[in-house]
Amino acid sequence: MASTIGQPAAAPSRAEPVVQRRLPGRNPWRRPWGMEGFTWLYIIWSIVPIAIAVLFSFNKGASQATWQGFSTKWYIGNQVTSVLHNPSLHHAVIQTLILAALTTVICVPIGVAFAIGIDRWRSRTSSGLNFVMIFSFVIPELLLAVALFLLVTQALTFIKLGTPAETAALVVWNLSWPAIIVRARLVSIGRSYEEAAADLGASRLGAIRRVLIPMLMPAIFASAVLVFASTVDDFVIVEQVSSTANTQPMSVLIYSNVHGGLSGPSLNALATIMLVVSLLAALIGFVGYRWMSRGERTKGGADALTGIAGI
Amino acid sequence: MSTGGHVKLESLCKSFDDVTAVDHISVEIEAGEFFSLLGPSGCGKTTTLRMVAGFEPPTSGQILLDGVDVGSWPPHRRQVNTVFQSYALFPFLTVGENVAFGMKYKSVPKSEVNTRVGEALELVQLSGYEKRRPNQLSGGQQQRVALARALVLRPSVLLLDEPLGALDAKLRRTLQVELGALQEQVGITFLYVTHDQEEALTMSDRLAVMNHGRIAQLGPPEEVYNEPADAYVADFLGVSNLMDAQVEPGGSGKECCRLRLGEFIVEAEAGQLDATGSVKVAIRPERIHLHAYEDGGSNRVPGMVERLVFLGSTTQVFLRLASGSALQTLVRNDGAELPYSQGTPVSVGLPADALRVLPDPGISVAEIRDETLGEELLDVTGTAST
Amino acid sequence: MAVHQGTHDRRYRGLWMGLTLPGAIALLVLFVAPFYVMLSVAGGGINEFFQTVVPVWNPLHWSSWNLSAVWHDIFGHGSFIGGAAVRTLIYTAIATAISLAIAYPVAYFVSRYGGRRKTLFLVLLIAPFWVSYMMRMLAWIDLLQQGGFVNSALSFFGLPGNTDWLGGKSVTVILGLVYGYIPYVILVLYAFLDRIDQSLIEAARDLGLSRWRTFWHVTLRLSKPAIIAGTFITALPMLGDYFTNQLMSGAPGTTMIGNAIEGLLEAPGETGQGAVLALMVLVVLLIPMLYYVISTARSSRDYA
Repeated sequence: MASTIGQPAAAPSRAEPVVQRRLPGRNPWRRPWGMEGFTWLYIIWSIVPIAIAVLFSFNKGASQATWQGFSTKWYIGNQVTSVLHNPSLHHAVIQTLILAALTTVICVPIGVAFAIGIDRWRSRTSSGLNFVMIFSFVIPELLLAVALFLLVTQALTFIKLGTPAETAALVVWNLSWPAIIVRARLVSIGRSYEEAAADLGASRLGAIRRVLIPMLMPAIFASAVLVFASTVDDFVIVEQVSSTANTQPMSVLIYSNVHGGLSGPSLNALATIMLVVSLLAALIGFVGYRWMSRGERTKGGADALTGIAGI
Repeated sequence: MSTGGHVKLESLCKSFDDVTAVDHISVEIEAGEFFSLLGPSGCGKTTTLRMVAGFEPPTSGQILLDGVDVGSWPPHRRQVNTVFQSYALFPFLTVGENVAFGMKYKSVPKSEVNTRVGEALELVQLSGYEKRRPNQLSGGQQQRVALARALVLRPSVLLLDEPLGALDAKLRRTLQVELGALQEQVGITFLYVTHDQEEALTMSDRLAVMNHGRIAQLGPPEEVYNEPADAYVADFLGVSNLMDAQVEPGGSGKECCRLRLGEFIVEAEAGQLDATGSVKVAIRPERIHLHAYEDGGSNRVPGMVERLVFLGSTTQVFLRLASGSALQTLVRNDGAELPYSQGTPVSVGLPADALRVLPDPGISVAEIRDETLGEELLDVTGTAST
Repeated sequence: MAVHQGTHDRRYRGLWMGLTLPGAIALLVLFVAPFYVMLSVAGGGINEFFQTVVPVWNPLHWSSWNLSAVWHDIFGHGSFIGGAAVRTLIYTAIATAISLAIAYPVAYFVSRYGGRRKTLFLVLLIAPFWVSYMMRMLAWIDLLQQGGFVNSALSFFGLPGNTDWLGGKSVTVILGLVYGYIPYVILVLYAFLDRIDQSLIEAARDLGLSRWRTFWHVTLRLSKPAIIAGTFITALPMLGDYFTNQLMSGAPGTTMIGNAIEGLLEAPGETGQGAVLALMVLVVLLIPMLYYVISTARSSRDYA
């Protein structure tokens, strides 16, 4: 039986002029110029001010607003005010780097171990700990900074203000980066690789060491880079628990000198240095991440970027 | 060739919370045998395999490897190796390093490692692939590396968890033959889990059909196919053409059984001939004969051809008996034109020795069909979960 | 398969607990305990001589002196904190709304129409993350100074070019907030929008909805979790912000709650009140924070 459902209309039996019919309305496949323009406008608005600030760090004059020619005096030239020569300025650079390195080295292993432990240890206590960890991610930094300041000055006074307190505070503030990123990666890896390792003769610890950690390396590395960059830029917590001027990192120094104090372009120079350090960390992170996950299928650069951003 | 490889499962049980996945399984597998666990998603076959491998501790029962109870041993201490459904090749190691992975724990001297890796890869026809990375290989190649990785350790038993599940049909058929040949060559016990009955029938020395955590039937492929013990097994392996029937009063006997299909009486000579009351009847499609409608003869039921489906080398003929049952048969396309087409009335011949009487499990034919499908319908990726 | 992972792990429970231990200690000592200290300071007294804080550790002895002082300050006559609180809410609401309004089209465009340049766009959008907050604010301070670009540009177009942008204008503070927090919003929105299944939108078009209707009924509805997440990620930290105001304005007319807390903490004798205020802000934020934490924890458990 022939059914007419689903059968296309019969083709014309002889050549007839084809009817052109334009549907009313605009081309449905047109490019979204409006949105694209808006996006570019946003990008320009987002980046240009920073570019200008970087530019002014090379300003010959002392103004942050009028361009007076190119010079590197704020970095290395001027004997008094350049970053290289002014003690408080270059101590700030060193302090930032020390703080970032210390925090990363302490925070990442603790965070990775925490992630693995929480993932495997199924109980109320572990869910509770996980809860607390997410909480630390979401709380406004000021509240935690205040609480830590009080802790260190009133209770655990053996943690001195300055670098020790700053490090401790930054470690706990950034703990959620490795914990969350590594945990997400753990969940997507699944159990089969460790089971395969155990099947082939590896003990539990051996399987973790020889299989799990190598597979987690990209995530561990990405979280380390994030912790580093986050610490370089951190301001609220560090300011709260810092002590004398000599142990101030760059972020705090800039903040305290914005409304007066050190002359403008040296602040720009300092900020540019911070920028370069962060960008370098980002670059190393991106390249390193790609290299480490070369054994696995990556869907392209976009994925690695969002991976690093922790989403 | 290694000695040993005798596996005995003694009343093995596994429950997760209040769900019983494996319900008193007792099996004895001979050394060097290719043994398959066959069943739909959710029947417990993978759980059983994982218990033998050591990834799940049994709730009760024993697992004996060459006489030793290994039920409480961790996986790395058992002389068994597993080929995983997802292959689980370590992506950060090369093929050669993957295969060599387990040898570290057997204290194989460094000089010997490379030789053995080479031998293992040659066994699976991947010589020369040592330096490649797993993500550069096709699915079939990855599966072979997984095989090589397990075999290089010379286990007494190899466990395979639906290894061909992720491959396309043609590749699967090729590898089925290769796996069977490989097992004969290496000579160790293979414990193979699958939901594909064609695989199990092709490769196994013996197979066990599982349903809801229990073994429905255990035996060599021909036996399980030709003499299914119940309606479920009959329908799981191939087409069974299950029908509802009533035993004629006084019709049951030792050598034949008189059955009523709707208004028609037929005689069956296989299966549970002393059954009474309502039963299920099965007949394999290749045993059905089609005759012209006017032809007479014993064990004939009038019917009609509902649909013809061209399968290439054969044609599938869908029939509807006058009693209401739907049957299928296969006809070889040997060049002659078929004497019937859609709508032709025919006389369907059901030879008595091909009609098998099976106990009635109390559910309809359609429900039995659903059971044999398991949860496969819902699993979009095509991988079974237990 | 995922359901039954637990049975094998129970054997090695000690190992998992051991791994969790350092992190657990860090969290308990440096995250949970400090809030108890804050409570003790809030409920404590002052050493009159040194004007320093004397914390009271026993909850039974906590005094409500600090609490009533702050309460008075918020709701009483001449309230300074009360104004700051209201202002904070207004600034945050406006800044969050503006951020979402800008971020959504951008994120939508990049995720849907990014095409081959998607990576480029993402790099440009992620870039502000790696630029410290200080630098981003500094950049605007440079531009908004009396002799800066903004004023020069305005006078170039014939508009008044001598506004003191940095002297205490709400607009500047809101601009600072938007500029500072918008990258987070964009990224969160992008992550969610990117995951929207394109075939859902295509199905809607196929079934006859116009471009606009599809957007309104399908895409926007599917974006709801994204918008909620984006709001949380922005508004919660923003409510505790104080440095943006400090940098962009520094005048009392634009103070936010964060500034009030800072001020009280640093004033001798009023540290306890600072602690109280911080706790009050915490309590107010607790419910949205809990909501966010619970839904995050729940969704991560769904994957495991």
